[in-house]
Amino acid sequence: MKDFLRVLRLMRPQAGWMALSIALAALATLAHVALMATSGWFITAMAAAGLAGVSMNYFTPAAMIRAFAIVRTGGRYVERLVGHEATLKFVASLRPWLFGRLEPLAPAALEDERSGDLMTRLRGDIDRLEFAFLRILQPMVVAVIVIGIGIAYAAFHDAAIAMALAVLAFAAGLVLPLLVGRLSAPSARRVTANSSDLNALLVEHLEARAELDIYDPGHRHRAAVLETSDALIDDERKVASLAGLASAGVGLCANLALVAVIAIGGPQIAAGTLGGPDLVMLALMGLALFEVVGPLPVAMQTLPGFLASARRIFSLADRAPPVPAVAMPESVPETGALTFENVGFTYPGAGAAALSDVSFTLRPGKRIAIVGPSGSGKSSLVSLALRYRAASEGKIGFAGQPVERFEPEALRRRFAVLAQSDHLFSTTIDDNLRLADPAVSRGRIDQACALAGILDFIKEQPDGFDTYVGAHGAKVSGGQGRRLGLARALLKDAPFLILDEPTEGLDPETEERVLEGVLEATRERGVLLITHSHACLELMDEVIVLEAGRIVERGAPGEVFRRT
Amino acid sequence: MATGLAVIAQGFLVARILDELIFRGRTFSDVTRELVLLAAVILARAGAVWATDRFAFSAAAVVMRSLRAHLISRVERIGPVGLAERKTGETVAAIADGVRAIEPYYSRYIPASVMATLLPLAIFCVVLPFDWLSALVFVVTAPLIPVFMILIGEGAEKLNQRQWGRLQRMSGHLLDAVQGLATLKAFNAARRMTEQVAKVADAYRRDTMAVLRIAFLSSLVLEFFATVSIAIVAVLVGFRLLWGEIGYFEGLFILLLAPEFYLPLRSMGTAYHARMEAIGAAEGIVALEDVPALAEPGGAQAVFRPERIAISFEDVELTFAGGRRALDGVSFQVAAGEAVALVGPSGGGKSSLLNLLLGFVQPTSGRVRVNGVALGALDMAEWRSMIGYVPQAPRILSGTLAANIAPQDDTPDMERLEKAARQADLFDVIARLPDGFDTRIGEGGAGLSGGEAHRLALARAFYRDAPVIVLDEPTAHLDRDSEARVQAAIARLLPGRTALMVAHRRATIEQAGRVVGLRAGRLADPAGIAEEEVAP
Repeated sequence: MKDFLRVLRLMRPQAGWMALSIALAALATLAHVALMATSGWFITAMAAAGLAGVSMNYFTPAAMIRAFAIVRTGGRYVERLVGHEATLKFVASLRPWLFGRLEPLAPAALEDERSGDLMTRLRGDIDRLEFAFLRILQPMVVAVIVIGIGIAYAAFHDAAIAMALAVLAFAAGLVLPLLVGRLSAPSARRVTANSSDLNALLVEHLEARAELDIYDPGHRHRAAVLETSDALIDDERKVASLAGLASAGVGLCANLALVAVIAIGGPQIAAGTLGGPDLVMLALMGLALFEVVGPLPVAMQTLPGFLASARRIFSLADRAPPVPAVAMPESVPETGALTFENVGFTYPGAGAAALSDVSFTLRPGKRIAIVGPSGSGKSSLVSLALRYRAASEGKIGFAGQPVERFEPEALRRRFAVLAQSDHLFSTTIDDNLRLADPAVSRGRIDQACALAGILDFIKEQPDGFDTYVGAHGAKVSGGQGRRLGLARALLKDAPFLILDEPTEGLDPETEERVLEGVLEATRERGVLLITHSHACLELMDEVIVLEAGRIVERGAPGEVFRRT
Repeated sequence: MATGLAVIAQGFLVARILDELIFRGRTFSDVTRELVLLAAVILARAGAVWATDRFAFSAAAVVMRSLRAHLISRVERIGPVGLAERKTGETVAAIADGVRAIEPYYSRYIPASVMATLLPLAIFCVVLPFDWLSALVFVVTAPLIPVFMILIGEGAEKLNQRQWGRLQRMSGHLLDAVQGLATLKAFNAARRMTEQVAKVADAYRRDTMAVLRIAFLSSLVLEFFATVSIAIVAVLVGFRLLWGEIGYFEGLFILLLAPEFYLPLRSMGTAYHARMEAIGAAEGIVALEDVPALAEPGGAQAVFRPERIAISFEDVELTFAGGRRALDGVSFQVAAGEAVALVGPSGGGKSSLLNLLLGFVQPTSGRVRVNGVALGALDMAEWRSMIGYVPQAPRILSGTLAANIAPQDDTPDMERLEKAARQADLFDVIARLPDGFDTRIGEGGAGLSGGEAHRLALARAFYRDAPVIVLDEPTAHLDRDSEARVQAAIARLLPGRTALMVAHRRATIEQAGRVVGLRAGRLADPAGIAEEEVAP
């Protein structure tokens, strides 16, 4: 319920339009009810007049029938337009909202999530939030208004008929929906969960195609995908079957209303307490009233799935960022030294520390290499420097101030990074490079690509910079992708450069050449080079050897090599 | 059909009862029999409605199941090389949401179109003997409805397809954005991407709304015709009642049937929208059918003498759809038990050669033979299960470490797991984890470092104990220390097996018995290449 209210609060900007849509829907439905009732009254009265051989005023009812017909069709059309326009606007605004919430979480607080699942939250789950209004709130409010007015009108003629209508409306509009809602709740919740699982499994089925082709000859992964799909369809079938039951039930109640009105009103004709035309009018009105009840069981069926989706969205949006937000952030100095003082870091839940007692100072113009075997904590160090995570012990400072005083995003503006898991977006080379700076000139792009040793490759492509790199850069080789990432990092104008294995997949000669070029071109910047290769280490000012999260050796390259 | 009969019977009974009560001066007890009958008809009608719904969705469920199964085997046929050309999120949207959107076509459109033909016809036949004038109104107005539907539908079909395209693109975009969040963050580009997400979401909203506007317009037209026709019938009936031309029973019966005459036509109008949505979704599905199936489907032949495998490439040529020629007449052999290293500049065709051998692509001409049998004739599942494969960027599957090392086994053998992990130099890492081999590792190998992920892929090859080894520079991502250990492990692995490996590093090349050079898709002198391309 809390989640439902929260969704409603998020809808507030569209509240006016939504209220209008409810009013119009109520009006259109009332016009429909009135149309049916008036028609019934009209022909009965006409027949009575015909038999009695008297004339009657047929202009007014005929005009009313026309008016109701117009209000009904026009009202319904405008109501739908307004309601959907408002809801879709709300839904469209939620996607960037949730994506914006993900940003502070990535990558540290999202590691336990599959990307297919995150995509589902951004798309399918958010789509499901539109139901809050269109399928749940609006039909309920409209039903209450229309049935209330209808029963009040019936009570004006006959209390017993009003009572019978109220009982049936209660059964069809409340008891039946609650029953159906409860029966389909487990399936509806599973639909939400399984839709997401199916997407995540499909992403894996496609992206790990090579591994699965080779290592899954029994097609176990395919079986898992199909099993999830079948479970999903099965639950959807259960929900649909209950919906069919509900709609049959509502139809039954509507027709029973007709029977009930005749049964109660019939004897009163002979008694003379109720006119024939009025009886027909009430009978047809009773039948028509239930049109508004039809969507209610669906509303209750939608509720659990909707709530599950809302929960999935909010639980993600409310995750605490791994680095707390800064209340009164200081402005980040243009440049200054990055200092690590006795820094330690332990992953949440991990027994052993990933880093302990690490100290160094990186100034502009200084080049530090961090060397060590994989798993020695090199990447954790990058993640601390970029404030993706907060240090468990020790102090990290920038320009003499603790980094906790700065907005992480503002601090990151001082660092250009080639991360280990650098992502190439499924678009052109140019778009990928311009991620660093959308306004960068062609000349600078050429220069950065030349430095990264990738310019010739790009020029050789028939489409040049417009070459599509494929999903995860699958259309370029690992080494080429790495060099594109390096060029991208070089394009970012920042006083510090952090390169995590920049020359992976390169042959040694190219590796030397590229690194030399990069170090030469970034003379003024501070460079943190994380590597396991020994290329160009002699060009560094300091080499730090990391093992199991501890510094085991450090000094000028000459000294370090002499000792090891 | 039962529904149709119940509808007519219900109208008949209600008109009868009211006529008796109001105009024939009968008392309530005189019509009890009719009332009971009416209640029975109403119950039957509800039952018929429920049954129709049930069967309709069950039929749709059968279609959805088989369509998903078909699409999944389709993407398997497209293969890893072909799939790299497409955005994953788009393909996922076609298989998940596209198939879902087909459902209303079967569960709603088909039943609705049957009802829309039968029920109005039945009502027309019933009304005609009572009152030809009202029947005439039905006959004149009813055909207008489908005519307008088709007119409106023409424009809507294109809009629907566009909207589906947009939905697929949005899915592709969102998945890519989510997968690249860390990179976006490093470049402070997340805000720009958020704006882009907003733009894509808004474009999707506008397309959806355009489709809905048409759908609403069509139901406006439908309701308008239906309502006006009912009003005309009501007024006509009313006046003839006033003039005493027809009896009240007939008049009321016709008035009660009038909405039921138009109702199935109106539901078909709504279902027509479902049909168009399904057609829009089908576009995305058909587009997947059009992606060339690059993977080698193979045949039924078992591999001959699986313990000693010799491979030969015979004049293979590989040209991609865009005209790019990756391999151009390459012939060479790998003898049983021999390890061959492929060297050459990137883009020279080394990976293409591996892809051919793995059956990820088929040669444009020429053939690959395994113990003399063309790869195309072999049972691919059997052939691939003989291969230990380590790609350049191994994918970690989401699941446990054990399931990752032995994806083919339901219950991996503990002893073999341990041995494989030790050989791949991964055992120490696993032993340090509290859950050991049962530790769950995430998509993209979260929780494993780059080098560890690579060693995991090696462990898969060790676990399988395969007679054929395919390695795509196995030590490119490893530090010196583990590289040396992995090289040692490979040295343990290679003897007695046939191996083809792409190599950049001298240590890898030295493991091979023979070196083959490739440049621009043709064989080249390995000595010349080694000078410029090989790492120490």
